[in-house]
Amino acid sequence: MIGSKRKLWILDVLMLPFGLLTFFPFYIIIVNTFKSELETATKPISLPSSWNFSNYARVFEETPILRSFGNSLFLTVTAVILMVLIGAMAAYPIVYNRTRVNRVIMGYLLLGFMVPFQTLLVPLFQLMTNLKLVDKLYGLTTMYLGGSVFVFFLILGYMKTIPKDLSEAAIIDGCSIWGIFWKIILPLLQPITVTCAVLQTMWIWNDFLSPMLFLSSRENTTLVLEIYKAKGEFAVNWPMFMTMTVITLAPVFVFFIAMQKQIVEGIVGGAVKG
Amino acid sequence: MGKFMRQLQYQVFLIPILIIYTLFTIYPLIRSFMLSLTNFNGYSKNYDFIGLKNYVRLFADNAIVSGISFTILFALATTVLVTLLAIPLALILDQNFFSKNVLRAVFFFPSIPSGLLLAFIWGFIFAPIPSGILNTFLRESFGMSAQPWLSDPVLAKISTIVVAVWATTGWHAVIYLAFLQSISKDFFEAAAIDGASKWQQIRYITIPLLAPAMTVSVLLLITNGLKVYEIPFALTNGGPGFETHTITQVIVLRGISEAQFGLASAISVIFFLIVLVIGFVQFSLMQKREERMQ
Repeated sequence: MIGSKRKLWILDVLMLPFGLLTFFPFYIIIVNTFKSELETATKPISLPSSWNFSNYARVFEETPILRSFGNSLFLTVTAVILMVLIGAMAAYPIVYNRTRVNRVIMGYLLLGFMVPFQTLLVPLFQLMTNLKLVDKLYGLTTMYLGGSVFVFFLILGYMKTIPKDLSEAAIIDGCSIWGIFWKIILPLLQPITVTCAVLQTMWIWNDFLSPMLFLSSRENTTLVLEIYKAKGEFAVNWPMFMTMTVITLAPVFVFFIAMQKQIVEGIVGGAVKG
Repeated sequence: MGKFMRQLQYQVFLIPILIIYTLFTIYPLIRSFMLSLTNFNGYSKNYDFIGLKNYVRLFADNAIVSGISFTILFALATTVLVTLLAIPLALILDQNFFSKNVLRAVFFFPSIPSGLLLAFIWGFIFAPIPSGILNTFLRESFGMSAQPWLSDPVLAKISTIVVAVWATTGWHAVIYLAFLQSISKDFFEAAAIDGASKWQQIRYITIPLLAPAMTVSVLLLITNGLKVYEIPFALTNGGPGFETHTITQVIVLRGISEAQFGLASAISVIFFLIVLVIGFVQFSLMQKREERMQ
């Protein structure tokens, strides 16, 4: 087991079928992007008779997929940066200015930690309508900022491990409280802020429910929402639909495979401390 | 600079989170509780306090009863199945063999895309028409007739759960793997010297040390299971009938599509209480285990 340098090739043989089975749905969508509708209907499992890229050209010509990609990118980037910033800012006084008021504030923030988003859905829908934030990308960004509380708790545990001497020395040197936060604390938080950013990116990039409810017009569509709408439009054209799916997934796979380590650390660390 | 002024400067950092959190979490939460006691329809200004009538109505609404029961079934089934599959998978992926890195990536793959996309892909596999991939395969390999994977009450529930298990097992295996790799090798070396077999090492060292990973994984599985929306929605649209409705789908349907704000808020409150109770049970179990370890 552990410690032995010998490669257990028997495990390669045993695990190969399970690996193939897990990958099979992805194989299906990839091969069918190169087929005609007829070929997909008659031979969905086999390799394509010829490698034809016309479905890819059609998706870029006929659907606003690039625009949706831009929208998803805007939503994710703005919401994630703001969430991380707001969460980190909130943790700063809780750790460095331990007053009774701040203990009460922390309890207040903890109160809503377990609340599932779904519980808030109906009043949020009303609130967003009243604030005229429906069908606006920045409106949805604002709503996503509720996720700052999760970031706050992840950062809180990490910030406690930063030695206080650093900030005390800076105060003696005449650095302001703002200066300490931006120049000393925020850079030191980098490992945990990266984790938070990856976790929140995963959530917002893949979210379907909120865009479906709060974005209605075609020009504000996100990628996931675009796929949902395409499913209705190309109801019978599976190759087109699968091509859209592949285009949507490709960049995300690259990003998440690269970030796999951070994702796991975030989940493990966050759930243990939270 | 006075101490008070300095403290005041610190407090400025809390302003953004307090505004956001109060506006988008606490206010809606209180409003959910309040609306659940009224007959508000979202439009008319004057609505009445109707006490617990919405809560009574819940039990007469088939969609809601199905929604709650399927969601609980889904959360329990995925938690048990994923845990039973992810632990052995992690133990295997922790071994030294040629394809381990490729396989880790392959099993992790399905946890990356949105559940909506995954469900659409599986919709093609489960397609009811004879050309559906699963039906084609079963016909050509075993001569079986086409099965209604998504339109039979029992098969639809099973199909939905299978897709969710496929999508999340690799992810949870990676959580266990992270914990496995943090276990000190000394334990195993000492055990090996004492003559413990591989199986004994797994049974008496690895499994007990995986307990904290299990706490994390099970908590995530249960809460995500209760919040499920996309996979059943995209696969079956909650059908046949209300068989695979989820709590979230019912809240969206009754609350937003039909503007029955009071009724939908009552479902939300019930949902919140379920999550709260499970969270509390989980927390106390965790504390008990930590006490036992000390």
